[in-house]
Amino acid sequence: MISNEIEFHAPTTLREALALLASEGEDVTVLSGGMSLLPMMNLGIIRPEKVLSLNRVSELARVTERNGELVIGAMVRHQAVATDPLVQRHCPVLAAAAHVVGDVQVRNRGTIGGSVAHADPAADYLPALAAMGASVTLSSSEGERTLDAGAFFVDLMLTSREPTEIVSSVTVPKLPDGWRSAYKRLARVEGSFAIVNAAAVVAGDRSSATVALGGVGPKPVVVDISEQVRGGIDDAALAAVGEAAYEAAHGATGDLLSDASYRREMASVFARRALREAAAEGGGAR
Amino acid sequence: MRTTIQVRVNGEDRRVEIDTRMIVAEMLRERLRLTGVHIGCATGHRGACTVFLDRKAVKSCCVLAADVDGAEITTVEALSSGPDDLHPIQEAFVENQGLQCGFCTPGMLLSAKALLESNPNPTEDEIRHGIAGNLCRCTGYHFIVKSIQDAARRLNGNGSP
Repeated sequence: MISNEIEFHAPTTLREALALLASEGEDVTVLSGGMSLLPMMNLGIIRPEKVLSLNRVSELARVTERNGELVIGAMVRHQAVATDPLVQRHCPVLAAAAHVVGDVQVRNRGTIGGSVAHADPAADYLPALAAMGASVTLSSSEGERTLDAGAFFVDLMLTSREPTEIVSSVTVPKLPDGWRSAYKRLARVEGSFAIVNAAAVVAGDRSSATVALGGVGPKPVVVDISEQVRGGIDDAALAAVGEAAYEAAHGATGDLLSDASYRREMASVFARRALREAAAEGGGAR
Repeated sequence: MRTTIQVRVNGEDRRVEIDTRMIVAEMLRERLRLTGVHIGCATGHRGACTVFLDRKAVKSCCVLAADVDGAEITTVEALSSGPDDLHPIQEAFVENQGLQCGFCTPGMLLSAKALLESNPNPTEDEIRHGIAGNLCRCTGYHFIVKSIQDAARRLNGNGSP
C-alpha cells in the first residue's frame, strides 16, 4: 500500500476543484487517469499528501466543436480521443496518436489532459499537438488562460501550469480540407513509450508543411518543412526533410533506450516516414 | 484516511471500508478476498491486475480505491462458479495450454473477453494488439494467442477444432 497518508478529494464540478486549488494549491496533486501518477505513487517516487481527482468532473470529459476548432476536455480518455467522430474527421493525426498510447487498459483510463500536464517528452500526443498548432487552456478560480503548445511546454516534464491551475482542455484547429497528416512512432514493443515519434501535417497544395518531433529533447521540436516540399514530395524532398529533422534534433540526449546519435538518426527516419504516409493516397484519414 | 465506498462487484452491491491509500487491486484482494486479481508490478506494465471498471478493462493497480465510489467492477471470479462451470474462454485456455505458471492468466482472460466482445473474429494480429497490455513471462504468447483463437470459435458456436 502507498505508505503516506492521503487526503482524497473528488469534486464533481470544475468550480469546486478550482476552489480547492485556490486555497491549497501548493499542497495538492491533481489526479486524472493516473496512468503515470499512480505508478509513481506506488513506487514512492512521489508522496502526495492531498490528491484531487478529476474523475467525477464530467464537464471536462467532452469534445466540442467551436468555429474552426475542436475543444477536447482534459478528462477525455485516450480511447475516446481515438474513436471520437469529430476528432477522427477534423484532427485525424491526434486520433492516430491516441490509438497507440500505451495499451488497451491504459487507453481506457488515461486522459489527454493528464498526458499533456505530465509532459513526458516521449508522449504520443505531444508531436501531434505541436504539428497541429494546438493550444492548452489552464483554468483557475481567477479565470482561464490559453497558451500555444510551444509556450505551455517549458522543459522536461515541466509546463507553465501554476499550482492553482488545472489543464482544463486542449484546443486543436481543424485540419483544413485537402490537408494531410500522419503520426509515426519508434518503440521497442507495443505499449512502450516512444523512443522517437513524429507527426507531419501538409497542406493540399504543399504551400505549408510541418513536422513535429518528440523524444529528441525536453519538449516537442517543430520543424517548418514548407521549403523542402514545395516542389513535390519526391525522394529529394524526403531526403531534405530528413536532414532538416536531423538538424532540429540536435538537443537529443541519451538514456537507457538509446543514445543521442541514434535518436537523431531516428528523428530523420521517422520525420520522413510520417511525411511519406501523410502524402500517400488516403494519408491523413488514419 | 479511512472512508467507506459503495461498489457493485461481480453483480453484488458492496459497502467497503477502505484507506484512501489503497489501490483498487488491494481493495479487491484484501477487503473482498477476490484474489484472482494479481498484483504484478503496481506500475501498469504487467496487466495481471486487469479488471473491468464500468465495463472497460483497466489496470486495477493504477486506480485509487477511493476513486471508484459508485462504480461497477468485474473480476475474473465472475467468469465461472467453479471447475465444472468454466467460461468458454477458460475452457479454451485449459485445452490449449494457454498458461504455464498462471500468474498472468486472470488478466489475460479478461483482456481476451474485452477483445472478443468488441471483435468476435479477431485476426492473430488483432489478438496480439488486444493483449499488448498483459505480459506473460512463461509462454512466449504462442499458446495464449491460440487459446484466444479457440475461444473465439467456441463463443461463436463453432466448437473446438
